[in-house]
Amino acid sequence: MAELDDVIHQPLRLRIMAALNALPSSVGLEFSRLKKLTGATDGNLGAHIETLAKAGYVRVDKAFVGKKPQTTVTASAAGRGAFARHVATLQEIIAGGEGEK
Amino acid sequence: MIDSKEAQAALADINEMVARVRQSRIYDIASQIMIVAGVMVVAGNIASYVAPRYSTYIWISINVLNVIAAAVISVLSYRRTGVRAFDYRVLSAFLLFFGFGILCISVLGHFGWREMSVFWPTYFMLFYCLAGLWFGRAFLTIGLSITVLTLVGHFFIGGALFLLWMAAVNGGGLILSGFWMRWGE
Repeated sequence: MAELDDVIHQPLRLRIMAALNALPSSVGLEFSRLKKLTGATDGNLGAHIETLAKAGYVRVDKAFVGKKPQTTVTASAAGRGAFARHVATLQEIIAGGEGEK
Repeated sequence: MIDSKEAQAALADINEMVARVRQSRIYDIASQIMIVAGVMVVAGNIASYVAPRYSTYIWISINVLNVIAAAVISVLSYRRTGVRAFDYRVLSAFLLFFGFGILCISVLGHFGWREMSVFWPTYFMLFYCLAGLWFGRAFLTIGLSITVLTLVGHFFIGGALFLLWMAAVNGGGLILSGFWMRWGE
């Protein structure tokens, strides 16, 4: 059985990746929207996005919309692949667990 | 390694996030369409109040503009949201919607201006309520609220003042609801 991805498995990072993966590959989510969707605090969300970015799973783009800074987070191809493998592993674990019953 | 219960919980978490993102995208587009529609409904009711003789042309123009605005907003939003909200099926739904409405008011019912002023908003809001069963309670709340306020006006506000009431509760209601949806998105 494949191993779970330690970077993705943390609950908040899993939620971030699930949210980003639900969008088309070229579409990202603004930091403020991601915060609302995940229910995380600014600091916590920022730290976990950094971990995902260091692993190459997300791309972080910063731009100014008018005078306001806006951070957009987008899942990378590597991130999407890792997330798909992670989900497949979770499904294998569930199937294995049901097989043991 | 985790056990199957923890794996199920993780998958449930993923599914919940996917549903939230989907709802957020739908609310994003719907709220923009509602704000634009609300502004047009306010304008349509005030114009009908000021120039009742032209109200048929006013409302035909407002409805055509509303469909065009919905199409433009959906196309412009596609790159940002990834949701394709306007296609031939949505256009067909609009045509069926207006076709059935016209059948009711002109062929079956021979409605006067007041009945039409009640029929179209409540007919629209019926679809908001139905949409609420699939796409989120906000649609249901908005649909029911505007329907109730429309009926309150119909039964308690006499004469052409009813059009101003409709500008406030239907047009204003759509604008406020659009902002409420954006805020809660």
